[in-house]
Amino acid sequence: MSTQLTTLLAVFLFPGGLFALVLGLSLKGLDRRVAARLQGRIGPPLAQPFFDLVKLGFKRTMVPATASQPVFLGAPLVGVVSMLVAVALVPVSGLYSPDPMLGNLIVLLYLLMVPAIVLMIAGSASTSPYGALGFSREMTLMLAYEAPIVLAVLAVALRTGMGQGGVITFSLTDIIAYQRSHGMFLLDPVMWPALAAFALFFPANLGIIPFDIPEAETEVLEGPLLEYSGPALGLFKVMSALKAVVVLSLGIALFMPLPFDGIWGLVGWLVQLAVLMEIGVTVVRLSMGRMRIDQAFGFFLKWPLLLAIASVVTVTIVA
Amino acid sequence: MNMIPDFKSIATKSPWIYRINAGSCNGCDVEMATTALIPRYDIERLGCQYCGSPRHADIVLISGPLTTKVMQAALVVFNEIPDPKVTVAVGVCPISGGIFRESYSVKAPIDQYFPVDVNVPGCPPRPQAIIEGVAKAIEIWRERM
Amino acid sequence: MNFLQLFAHNLTQGPFTDPFPFQPAPTAKRFRGKIEFDPETCEGCRKCEKVCPAGAIRFTKTDKGLEFDCWHDSCVFCGNCEFHCPTNAIHQTQDWHLAHVQQDKYSMVAHGVIPSHECPSCGKPALFTAAPANKVKGFSEAEIAEFRALCPKCRGKYLRDRKSR
Repeated sequence: MSTQLTTLLAVFLFPGGLFALVLGLSLKGLDRRVAARLQGRIGPPLAQPFFDLVKLGFKRTMVPATASQPVFLGAPLVGVVSMLVAVALVPVSGLYSPDPMLGNLIVLLYLLMVPAIVLMIAGSASTSPYGALGFSREMTLMLAYEAPIVLAVLAVALRTGMGQGGVITFSLTDIIAYQRSHGMFLLDPVMWPALAAFALFFPANLGIIPFDIPEAETEVLEGPLLEYSGPALGLFKVMSALKAVVVLSLGIALFMPLPFDGIWGLVGWLVQLAVLMEIGVTVVRLSMGRMRIDQAFGFFLKWPLLLAIASVVTVTIVA
Repeated sequence: MNMIPDFKSIATKSPWIYRINAGSCNGCDVEMATTALIPRYDIERLGCQYCGSPRHADIVLISGPLTTKVMQAALVVFNEIPDPKVTVAVGVCPISGGIFRESYSVKAPIDQYFPVDVNVPGCPPRPQAIIEGVAKAIEIWRERM
Repeated sequence: MNFLQLFAHNLTQGPFTDPFPFQPAPTAKRFRGKIEFDPETCEGCRKCEKVCPAGAIRFTKTDKGLEFDCWHDSCVFCGNCEFHCPTNAIHQTQDWHLAHVQQDKYSMVAHGVIPSHECPSCGKPALFTAAPANKVKGFSEAEIAEFRALCPKCRGKYLRDRKSR
């Protein structure tokens, strides 16, 4: 009973649910603010994503006449719920470790795919040609980046498992515990290829500029989100905010968990999130142009895949 | 129940802007792009954001004298925008026709077909004038929400 | 790595945004804004009405006199009227605060009346024009006022009489 209660709390309060939502939206606001400063503008207030969300709540949701209503309105809900569970699956070093019954790294990787799938479903359910275009682009991109990320995560799991004397471990709690006792993987040259592969996967999964091809505003008019308005669009915003938290804190858990406990662990984690958001998202998205879908596909099948394979091979050889 | 006016005043801090080019010469469009994109004017500071899809829009900026060919398309796009919305006519062309008035291929003034709320005259209006018009539109939008 | 330099420059030199909606915006000295009409100096030659490309300027004859209207919702601020005006009665100001709500659409007008009155010598209706009279050599203030009050026909007569005197 108490484990169920703690799990529920983890999903809806901390670190999932409300906390992650506020955190994700604040990170987005920080991103927009810093982006504006880097471009020499003043930029919106930090709470702008919250304003946007409240505003969307007041707008009317329009469902296209030809769209399938249950799928059209259900898709964002599925995305938000999957992300809520995913946040509860990522442990925070020295602060929170999920119930092993809730799931492990493999479940998390599955859940990380759900937002992309949800966007694809939403795009095709809207029956808009732009949505269909977004669908095909999202699918192509997902096919390209899924393999490198799975291999990169596999390398981390192998390294931890072999370090612990076993073969492989898919428990993020174990991975963090191993790094806390042996030093973080960020400083371990053996793990650098995996880190590079993960760093390349990260903008693609968050859908920021070099790889925001499925939702390109200027090409396919925000693609799958084209037909969404009002609260349904707000749910998508919530989903992407939660996703940013999940992917960022997964990166932190895999490569750079801080060896602090309690309140310092929380502060350190928040600082890490903010710094990663600025370096990994803001600077990247401001300094690059959007790739074409064939360029992005070729890119992901070249460098990240090579890096990921290299990382698995080196980890096996070193161990 | 008392929370709702507060939320409404929060909501008006996030007006998303959509542009309809109803046969404009692009002068006004350049000024609108300038208003949004150039650091000097930075409309994002007011929470505004240009959006690609009419479904996301709150404030519609219409430029151009509404040529006969583009009229049907412009009306279709306009009806896609969910309520509550505010319409702003940018430049003299949509307001009165400007130098294109009484041309056989022009349907201006557009307030015969669109419920225009705010007019921003000028050929083209300077970016500050557009910001002023948007500020007026936000006031109207607040009443309408 | 040009963009990194640019980012650093933007971060250190601070934002370059005008504080416009909260403070007045700088306006160029020769900005072509709102039209201003001065009925005192207007001749009523209607040249501005003719050269206006947007058809924003209109003169109408009423009981009050000759009425001038420039509709700012049609004006393209080209400055033709100011350029062609022989007596500099029409000006463009630096005022660009023209955004207005739809109810005010038809009141965005620069309006002026050149008053009409009866010619003191012949009794016909005449306009109070001929502002450049003060540039004529030898005209005293009283003579200018007397001259401007006349109708065009009587003005000719007045000048001929004055010459013969």
